[in-house]
Amino acid sequence: MNAVQRFIRSRVLLLTASILIAAMCLSVLVQGQSQAALNRTVDQNSRGLYDILVQAKAGDNGGLMQPDIATGQGGISFDQLDSLRKLSGTSVAAPISLVSRVTQNLESPRLDATDYLGFNAGLVGTAGDPSATDPAKWPAAESVLSDSPKNYRLTASAVSSDGQSDHTLFKTMAEGSLGKARLIEEQVQGGKNVRIAGPKGETGVKFPAPAGGSEHSLFNLSVSLPLAPQVTESVVAVDPVAERALLGPAGDFLAPLEKAPPADARNASAIGRHFESLFTTGLSMDELKEGPDFLGVKLKYWAPLMSQYQQAKRAGQLTENSQAIPLIVRSGTSLDLEYSVKIEEIDDSGNVVKDVGTVTRSLDKDYLPFVSKSPFALAWPGSKDLAQLLGDTGGFSQGLYNPATWSTDFASAPKYQDGGTAGNGAVDKSATPGDWVTVNRLPEKAPNGAPVDQTQRKPVDERAYREDLETGQKLATPLAMVYGTFDAEQVKDVAGDVNRLPLGGYDPTPFTLTKDAAGKEVGNTELKPSLSATGLASQSAGAITDYYGLAAARGYEDNASVIDAVRVRAKVPGSWKEAQPEVEKLADGIRDMGLQATIVAGSAREDASIFVPGYSKDDAGKESPLGTVQQSWVRQDAADAVSGSLTGTNLTLLFLTLIGAALLTGASTVSYVRKRRSEAGTLRAMGWTQGRIRSWVLAEFGVGAALLAVAGIVLSLLSWNPATAIVSASVLVLYAGAAFFAAQQLRHRDVVDQEPQHDERLIAVDSPLTFANRQLSTNKFNTVSLAVAVGVFAAAVGGMVALLIDIPRAAGASALSGLAAASITLPSIILGLSGVAVGLLLTMVTGRFELQAKRQYLGTLQAMGWNPDMLGQVRFFENAMVGTVALPVGVLGALGVGLLLAPYASIWAAVAGLVAVLCWIPIATKVVR
Amino acid sequence: MNNDLNLDREAHERMTASTRRGGHQTRANTIVKAADHATPLELSNITIHYGGGKGGAEAVNVVDDFDLTLHAGEMHCVAGRSGSGKTSILTVGAGLTLPTSGRVFWEGDSLETMGDDEIADRRRALIGYVDQGGALIDGMSALENVLLPAVPDGEVDKRRDMAKDLLDLVGLGRRMRHRPAQLSGGERQRVAIARALILGTRVLVVDEPTASLDRASANRIISILKDTTSDGIAVLVASHDHELVRQSDTLTELI
Repeated sequence: MNAVQRFIRSRVLLLTASILIAAMCLSVLVQGQSQAALNRTVDQNSRGLYDILVQAKAGDNGGLMQPDIATGQGGISFDQLDSLRKLSGTSVAAPISLVSRVTQNLESPRLDATDYLGFNAGLVGTAGDPSATDPAKWPAAESVLSDSPKNYRLTASAVSSDGQSDHTLFKTMAEGSLGKARLIEEQVQGGKNVRIAGPKGETGVKFPAPAGGSEHSLFNLSVSLPLAPQVTESVVAVDPVAERALLGPAGDFLAPLEKAPPADARNASAIGRHFESLFTTGLSMDELKEGPDFLGVKLKYWAPLMSQYQQAKRAGQLTENSQAIPLIVRSGTSLDLEYSVKIEEIDDSGNVVKDVGTVTRSLDKDYLPFVSKSPFALAWPGSKDLAQLLGDTGGFSQGLYNPATWSTDFASAPKYQDGGTAGNGAVDKSATPGDWVTVNRLPEKAPNGAPVDQTQRKPVDERAYREDLETGQKLATPLAMVYGTFDAEQVKDVAGDVNRLPLGGYDPTPFTLTKDAAGKEVGNTELKPSLSATGLASQSAGAITDYYGLAAARGYEDNASVIDAVRVRAKVPGSWKEAQPEVEKLADGIRDMGLQATIVAGSAREDASIFVPGYSKDDAGKESPLGTVQQSWVRQDAADAVSGSLTGTNLTLLFLTLIGAALLTGASTVSYVRKRRSEAGTLRAMGWTQGRIRSWVLAEFGVGAALLAVAGIVLSLLSWNPATAIVSASVLVLYAGAAFFAAQQLRHRDVVDQEPQHDERLIAVDSPLTFANRQLSTNKFNTVSLAVAVGVFAAAVGGMVALLIDIPRAAGASALSGLAAASITLPSIILGLSGVAVGLLLTMVTGRFELQAKRQYLGTLQAMGWNPDMLGQVRFFENAMVGTVALPVGVLGALGVGLLLAPYASIWAAVAGLVAVLCWIPIATKVVR
Repeated sequence: MNNDLNLDREAHERMTASTRRGGHQTRANTIVKAADHATPLELSNITIHYGGGKGGAEAVNVVDDFDLTLHAGEMHCVAGRSGSGKTSILTVGAGLTLPTSGRVFWEGDSLETMGDDEIADRRRALIGYVDQGGALIDGMSALENVLLPAVPDGEVDKRRDMAKDLLDLVGLGRRMRHRPAQLSGGERQRVAIARALILGTRVLVVDEPTASLDRASANRIISILKDTTSDGIAVLVASHDHELVRQSDTLTELI
């Protein structure tokens, strides 16, 4: 019988080798899948639209970077931008700068009450539009007001909220009588005149200046309400061509900006005068809507500019240097601003007779910065909009309502200090706010020149600004021209998390309040931009312009260093890992230019916990902290860190599974060989030498080793990586070591089985427990072998559990970590469970060598009248005692493995080791039965 | 077929029993000796089949319709060639295995009505079983082996002197601290007999007690067994040792 036949005959050797090979195949396969999933997740989530963020040379910003919209630091010139674009590795270099913060007074709010007198002679001249309703079809007169005037009290208020607390900006009340309008026909020179007037005795309602009073018009009674709060928006400059190249189809909203007039054709005064001449010669509505083009743009798009031009001219803000600035404005707003008017009918004594209702308007997704007309036009309860009876007359009048106040102040960006670092690498921070500034002031004079009652709106102290940019030039008021709109949400979706940070561009990440000032959990309230202390939270840019617009607003000279940052995409396709060498080479080239190049590819979002002091200030000037907020920052090199860490975890799990299995195979093999001592004795009796006997046994193990080697080679070929080869080789070495040790156990003994006589000091056998104890102490070698096997099993289980628990920490704190950890969790659990199953199986195999002997003496006990319960106790106590011996090995081994591989989970490793041993005891008891 | 044991030692009467084994009809000759004792053990219509399961092994009828009534103080020998079913009859009689069919009575009580625990308790009180070769527990001295049956009742200390007496009785008084590995085959067999008697057994079931022993050792074992019957203990012994057959009161020969 040759070695192969003997190996097959000794089923146990075949079984253990098969289990080991099956474990190798399964583990490598699962680990391979897990690694592939990990690589896929990391690659897919760590390279976005741009690879390198270029900024002017500043301090090293490695590690965790804060998100920011363009902060207006500038420092990069257009020459440098050209140089960046000429680098051989550059695919796209898209500059971005903060043009300015622009403050705008929203158009005066008004309250419209339907007060329509029906078709009348006074309307004849106004219904010239072909789209107007046929006079014969005009509805009957209708009004929400009474024939005789009634006294009303109107209470106007504006409230802004940051999501955490509301802030009432003003609350102003006015009283007066209002009634249904009437037509007054008057005889004037040359004919009759029809005018609309209030009823007799009507006093009207007048809020403090600069608000006007109430006025009857064709369809409504309009009450001029107190001024709306100022809203400040940021304007960002980009190169539309480069930006479109960066964003792809999602950047099509910038196409109109490419067609904007060149810088030398943007003089606001010249453009305004040109249009004034057009209107002087007469311009029909059709011509206004459809053509002719002016500087490549249809006339209707110039309407907002004309509105601005006329108002700026009246206000004396227009100079010869004023430029038209083309804008793509943001759709909607996240600014929480609610304007409401409470209407009460009162008697002569001021007592409330009837609550007419409260009407409210908020800025919402329809709001367009610089564009929205009458965002706070409120309607009296029960009112209708009948203005459409006159047809489409709004074409030319739409657009900017007031000249915005442009300033070169920059957006706020608190400075941060690092706090403690958590186990997963997350860093706590605290914000250091900038100085307080007062915003939301009322103008000193109303448009009609009247002084403004400053008490009607309360200015807000806000940490929203820092130093101005010194250009050395006096700025001329630019005139905004709206070229289109963009949806910040869509841009955010396209740009993705990685590209949104650290340079937010259009869309900074929000803050979420997690704890209040007292440290109490508040349920993750997202902070919104508000007109209270909003220095911390900012919304997407209100508008995007080009670099000519930036020049017009800031007044810089040629090649000024006004570019805040350049986002560079490398000219190399593929995943982050594939592109990494080229990206790093390009970054080095950029650094050689004296610029700071931060590799953004391979980064990932991470929530930073930030404590915010000095967030708000009360009337007495006392500052209060906000609490703790969370915001997504960027962890640089997160992809490499996550990938490296989780790959390590994966490989360690694999290693643990297989080395544990190999050790158990060894223990099992040694136990088996012990059983073959009698066979060795027979061979010795036949004249075999010790060496020949050893060779004879080793040949059998050689078959198993050959099988393992073949399995290792095949696995390495199928899933080539150094880890597979190392693990396969390690398993082989362990198996071979076990074989040599086993062969050594067959050595000839000069003194054979000279057991001492019974020692009376031994514990007397008087119960199943003492019987089990005697059995185990009689067979010390096998008992210790089994206990070591169980201990190794428990240590491996503990190590696996520690690794599994440690996956989130090992992955890190970034969003990518979560995705990556999720991608390997299932395979890791499968790997861990299969490792546990293999380990359990092998300990059972090890214990099985004693099975025949156990059956024999259990049968003897049965014949002596020991009942099944007692026999069960014998089995249980034997395994319990083996478990007791294995317990310190298992628990300490698990603890050690845990400390080595996953210190944060080492206690869990020890607990898992303990549980593994405790679970093994009943399972082994059942198997023996 | 019936084995009537109420016959005189000198009046052996050969009775013929038919059994089926592998489809071939065989004969079992039972020499029945007369005795007038109580019946601590009775086997009735015992049939034992092996094999024929899902594994495809050929079914073997080891024992077919076997009856036996064992009286106190009687030594009954079941003789026959190897594989004839001697051990099977003994293990069924000792309640260690169940017959394919038939009934086993211990002092008139059928084992069919007993649970495992009750069988174990009754066996401990009634039957001492001596395995072929005298299976002793390794690692325990001869004395400890003898005391093992007393463990379930917690009477180890109480019966220690009795165990020593029994070991003296079987001629091993000076070997009681030795372990099985240090005893010869005959000595192990004697320890096993002593162990079977420790609880005041009324039936001694002994499987091939003299196999592999020299004549002197075998005679000593036979003598011990014979002596036990004088104390009213019934002995059921399986053997093909002619001397043992000769010395037994009744005999069943399986053929």
